Amino acid sequence: MKIIKTFVTGLISAMLILSPVAYADKWGDQFPHIKATGDIPGDCSYEEMSKKNYKGKTLKINTHAVPVIGQPTALHAEQFAKLTGAKVDVTHTPAGDLYAKAMVPFKAGQAPYDIVFGFSNFINDWRQYLAPVPKKYMNSTEMKDVTKSHVGVSSWDGTMYQYPVDGDRHYLKYRKDVIDNPEYQKKYKADTGKELKVPTTWKEYGEMAKYFNGWDWDGDGEKEYGSAEVMKKDDLMFAAFFSRSVAYAKNPRTPGGFFFDLETMKPNINNPGFVEALGDWVEATKYVPPGGINFGLGDEIGSFGGGQTLFSFSWDDAFIAAMQDDSPIKNKVGTAPLPGADKVWNRVSGKWENQYNQAPYIVWGWAVGVAKKSKVQEMAFDYLCFFSNGANHQADLAIGNFGVNPFKNSDFDPQLYIKTMGWDADIANSYTKTLKDMEKSKNRVFPLRVRGVFEFTSAVATGTSKALAGQLSPQEALDEVAKEWEAIVNRVGKKNVQEDYAVGVKMEDNKL
Amino acid sequence: MNFKQKYVFLFPGLFVLIGILIFPIIFVIRLSLSGWNSYNGLNFIGLENYIRLFTDDPRFWESFFRLSFLSVTTVILQYVIGFALAHMVWKDIKFQRFFRVLFLIPMMTTPVIMTVIWRTFFHESLGPVNDILSNFGMSPKWLTDPVLAKFTVIIVEVWQWTPFMFLLLLAGLLSLPKEPFLAAAIDGASPVRKFLYVTFPLMAPISIGAIIIRLIEASKIMDTVYVLTSGGPGTSTETSSFYIFIKGLREFQMGYAASMSFTYLIIMIVSLTVIAKVLTKLMLKD
Amino acid sequence: MGKLYKILKYFFITFWAVFVVAPFLWALTTSFKDFNSVNGGATYIPWVDFEPKLEGWRVLIKSPANGGVDIIEPYFNSLFVTCTASLISIILGTLSAYALSRFTFKAGFVKNNDITFFFISQRIMPPIVLSIPFFLFLGAINLLDSLIGLIVVYIVLLMPIAVWIMVDFFNKVPREIDETALIDGCNPYQAFFKVVLPNSIPGLIVAGMFCIIFGWIDFFFAFILTFTEVQLLPVKIVALNSSITPWWSLSASALISVAPLIIVAFVVERYLSKGNLSGAIK
Repeated sequence: MKIIKTFVTGLISAMLILSPVAYADKWGDQFPHIKATGDIPGDCSYEEMSKKNYKGKTLKINTHAVPVIGQPTALHAEQFAKLTGAKVDVTHTPAGDLYAKAMVPFKAGQAPYDIVFGFSNFINDWRQYLAPVPKKYMNSTEMKDVTKSHVGVSSWDGTMYQYPVDGDRHYLKYRKDVIDNPEYQKKYKADTGKELKVPTTWKEYGEMAKYFNGWDWDGDGEKEYGSAEVMKKDDLMFAAFFSRSVAYAKNPRTPGGFFFDLETMKPNINNPGFVEALGDWVEATKYVPPGGINFGLGDEIGSFGGGQTLFSFSWDDAFIAAMQDDSPIKNKVGTAPLPGADKVWNRVSGKWENQYNQAPYIVWGWAVGVAKKSKVQEMAFDYLCFFSNGANHQADLAIGNFGVNPFKNSDFDPQLYIKTMGWDADIANSYTKTLKDMEKSKNRVFPLRVRGVFEFTSAVATGTSKALAGQLSPQEALDEVAKEWEAIVNRVGKKNVQEDYAVGVKMEDNKL
Repeated sequence: MNFKQKYVFLFPGLFVLIGILIFPIIFVIRLSLSGWNSYNGLNFIGLENYIRLFTDDPRFWESFFRLSFLSVTTVILQYVIGFALAHMVWKDIKFQRFFRVLFLIPMMTTPVIMTVIWRTFFHESLGPVNDILSNFGMSPKWLTDPVLAKFTVIIVEVWQWTPFMFLLLLAGLLSLPKEPFLAAAIDGASPVRKFLYVTFPLMAPISIGAIIIRLIEASKIMDTVYVLTSGGPGTSTETSSFYIFIKGLREFQMGYAASMSFTYLIIMIVSLTVIAKVLTKLMLKD
Repeated sequence: MGKLYKILKYFFITFWAVFVVAPFLWALTTSFKDFNSVNGGATYIPWVDFEPKLEGWRVLIKSPANGGVDIIEPYFNSLFVTCTASLISIILGTLSAYALSRFTFKAGFVKNNDITFFFISQRIMPPIVLSIPFFLFLGAINLLDSLIGLIVVYIVLLMPIAVWIMVDFFNKVPREIDETALIDGCNPYQAFFKVVLPNSIPGLIVAGMFCIIFGWIDFFFAFILTFTEVQLLPVKIVALNSSITPWWSLSASALISVAPLIIVAFVVERYLSKGNLSGAIK
């Protein structure tokens, strides 16, 4: 029932948004950011916010560095201040430090920030310090438009602690001008005997990337390469690895845990599915640009977005960067779901199943919470609701480096991208379809959100990075990770991890 | 000399330092006996962290030996190069003042920011170094080869901190008394002998001081590693302080990180004392 | 001095000068690029190789709402904190250093050298773990997120350096200077302030320079111990490091942040060149 309800309300608000804006709009004149649409009615619209009076109150926010998420935070803070009379102080912190920057004061029993930005996988460590989203906002028009998986990612066992302001996921990005190029298709067929098309398995991805590695295939005088990936041993690396492993290791016929076996809490991380994926990844070091195994997210965005590689597969940023107006490869890139695999590991039977498998990784992304100890909670929630109200959200989506990506049902309308951002119709169509299909899939993997999650993910980064550097074989590396995971589980307490993990598994097994 | 007033000189500084630090130091020791992390508070778990560190964490000890290699190498290089540069611009040379100022500048850059520049500098496909080297058919993997990456870290560290040695040693050279040199000149000593038997011994005390302080600082090497390679590829550039950073601020195992820091502190104090003794013996023969 | 030595000398110095300057030149040219020219491969000369853009520099004065970081206020905060903390550290450190250099202390097995080492050993501890107790400490005395709180912490960071360097310098100032002054009827304070201190100005300059540098380039404590009211320059600049690494604005800010210290370098060099040091030792 709930699904249908959200869907219907989503549709309605989508229609509201798309209906030609009749509002001859005073807000659009005052706030140039929303000139394109004017104010869009809703519980947290400009109109509604202007009725609030927060004079004399201060709202303190810690957000990401500018511009990604940081700039919209600051911009909406400025607007919010103008509308309500509040004073809003914003600090900007690099992504890797957001966790500690909020966690240190939390732990010390302080709340220097009313609003803290972070990632959705912080939820379990942070939720004891965060205020749940009040009913009023849960029922707001804005919230009803949020897709089900983003409500899930922001909630802990049904209670929402993080306010949805952005949607993040991993999907495949590729160079359309190569993959769809008849000449290259002919050449590729002649040389390899295979079709050149959007890869649907990681093996195809690897073959194509290797073929298009190290020569100038777009005629700009510089060499191009196969794939740009986050391979630097940092706090994002594990996400790239899981994106590659879901195809081999997330079997829809074996519910009850992707990372662990929920019943025994034995790590699955070193089963043949993950090992196969890590093997692929080690192979990938041969078709990344020079220095590619030291690429962080920033390098990946620069590399693919700057036209250096054929493929890339992490967050939206690289694709959005490539689609910027001044980009030399605007409208030459396409999107598709993450590749799958021709076989999938069945951990119950302990055998490979030789059938096609694909699983979207609903990767963690930007999330934001209100501190429990904040003295201005209502104002804080008003701000967050205002942050992603209809008008702001649409305007934010259109600005690539804002880093705000679709997470509302109404966002999956291709017209939005064609009209305001000048995308080619088929690119916009495949983009929205890619995203929508991820929402629909029944074989999704949600991020690991157990307590002390960084101990687990950091172990993955260390292990996989040793494999990429050739220090260990994929099997050895993942055995080491599994051993480390078991040690962590023992330290944290098996019951505790199990209890936490059960919440995520419920979502994966489509029981929530 | 000995006066009652000596305490008036010593105590303000000493007490301010102790006053500010006493709580943090005690707290770190207490922290190291707790399982303080993202889900536990300041509980008491006895020596568990230390047992884990000494019996079950080869990564810490690997990173410690790597750190020893990196810091000793960089400090030796900094000392040799710093001394050479100071000696060269000590006396008559063209553009003396220009060089003296120029050689000071690298240490004034903020490591977190400057290392980003270095990372772009050594970027293997977009940076200038490999762009130039590729004309000669070379493309070294500055940041992705386990061995070379260590040297890249060393290069950056040497660039940044040689000025420290340079300045201390130049100041030392400029304050040397003239008499021994006059005596050596009268004896007709060759420049090499003059350096070995006059300059170097006179510079020994300041050299030891400079080396010790650089060893302390170099052992905290952290920003360089973090920005350049994040300890990669694999774990090949991971140092103790970076490992403590990962455990402490990334994984938020603060209790464990505290026990590592405390162990590190003890090891460093012991080894620095030994190093200072050895250096004094070696350099101050007479 | 052989001719060969001279050639070698100039060769080495030139080589080192190039090495020192190269990253700055690279930063300078990068600061005029944008996303596309950075990611199109290495280029060097504006107008010839790439189309120069001013974005990297503009970002530094724009407000965050417009995609910048506005470093002006943090710049002055940094200057203030660094200078104040350095000054206090130098004063306290010099006094302690003088005591350690001239008088004998003995308390059990603790002697002068041990006290000196105690000072410098405060710099050994990795800062990561100290951040938590410092946070609690400043929280308890209500100085979190304030300039004064940062100054307090920086004194701990800087004083050991001042002590360490000044002990060395005082050791080189002959004791006869103090003794003559004392015989002339000065009390120990007068001897210190009127005779010894003026003879140690070069040492003060060097120590002061190190204090200023170590204060100016600290990122970590400034990062953990401030929230919204006070921001220091390195923290503000690092806030540019978003998902996309902006090579251009980071390059510009690297150049901007080193600028004030170059003045310090000139001052230091001036004192060194004047030969004050050798004069002091006569």
